[in-house]
Amino acid sequence: MRIEIKGAFIGITAAACLLAGTFSLAQMLQYPRAGDSNATSPAQASPPQAAAALSEEGQKGHNLFDHNCAHCHGDDARGDEGPNLYNLRKSDARITAIVKGGIKGEMPSFAKKFNDGDIQALIAYLRTLKE
Amino acid sequence: MGNSIWVKMHGGTTHFPIALVMASVVFDLAGVIVPDSADRSRQAGFRAAGYYTLLLAALGSIGAVVSGLMISRGQLWGRGNLAHHHTFLWPAFGMVVALAGWRLVVGSRASHGAFKIYLAASVLTGGLMAAAGYWGGELMLNG
Repeated sequence: MRIEIKGAFIGITAAACLLAGTFSLAQMLQYPRAGDSNATSPAQASPPQAAAALSEEGQKGHNLFDHNCAHCHGDDARGDEGPNLYNLRKSDARITAIVKGGIKGEMPSFAKKFNDGDIQALIAYLRTLKE
Repeated sequence: MGNSIWVKMHGGTTHFPIALVMASVVFDLAGVIVPDSADRSRQAGFRAAGYYTLLLAALGSIGAVVSGLMISRGQLWGRGNLAHHHTFLWPAFGMVVALAGWRLVVGSRASHGAFKIYLAASVLTGGLMAAAGYWGGELMLNG
């Protein structure tokens, strides 16, 4: 076998094995950790409000949340790397300031990404997160 | 171990494979383009530099990927900027490991034609790495 073909075969096999190992590790990490207070079963992880129950603005906010916030605050907004967003007691102005300005070392600024209408929609969605 | 330590580890480790793949491409291209010295050591030196930087990039990419998975708690795709990041990351990761494997086996015995194909693939890998890094930065700075 020509050395280049042998090298390609071994290289592709190594890449496939490492990717398979990585994806297996990812599967293991997706299971809730024991003692994790934020851990939820897949059934619990669904959004608390049925999409139909949200106002148009709330639905827009939900979509924005889904695409921009869920990977830190969790798909269900009950917290992950970022905090649980249920029963927020912050004012609209304070939420706006946090979304626009971010929190140093903890949360990025969304000032360039969200306009005022987007933030209002996001707040409308967050106000629906009550227990 | 808290999540913040993985965020710091990812920030620390992720730049090595990006920079090293780029450096490997530059060294390998220099090994082809730059005129050789009289003792024929200049091009061989560039190729050796390209070889070792690629191997280090492949090793570094494992640490970057594992720390990234710990941050995202095993999300392989995600949404928004995370999905953009992963769109480029997984092909880049596979390519850098495959190229390193090829290079380990073939060493300096590659024919000109095979090495040209390798160079094209490594330029593509550098582009994928840069794109993955760009969307990773967007994720950190703009969510």
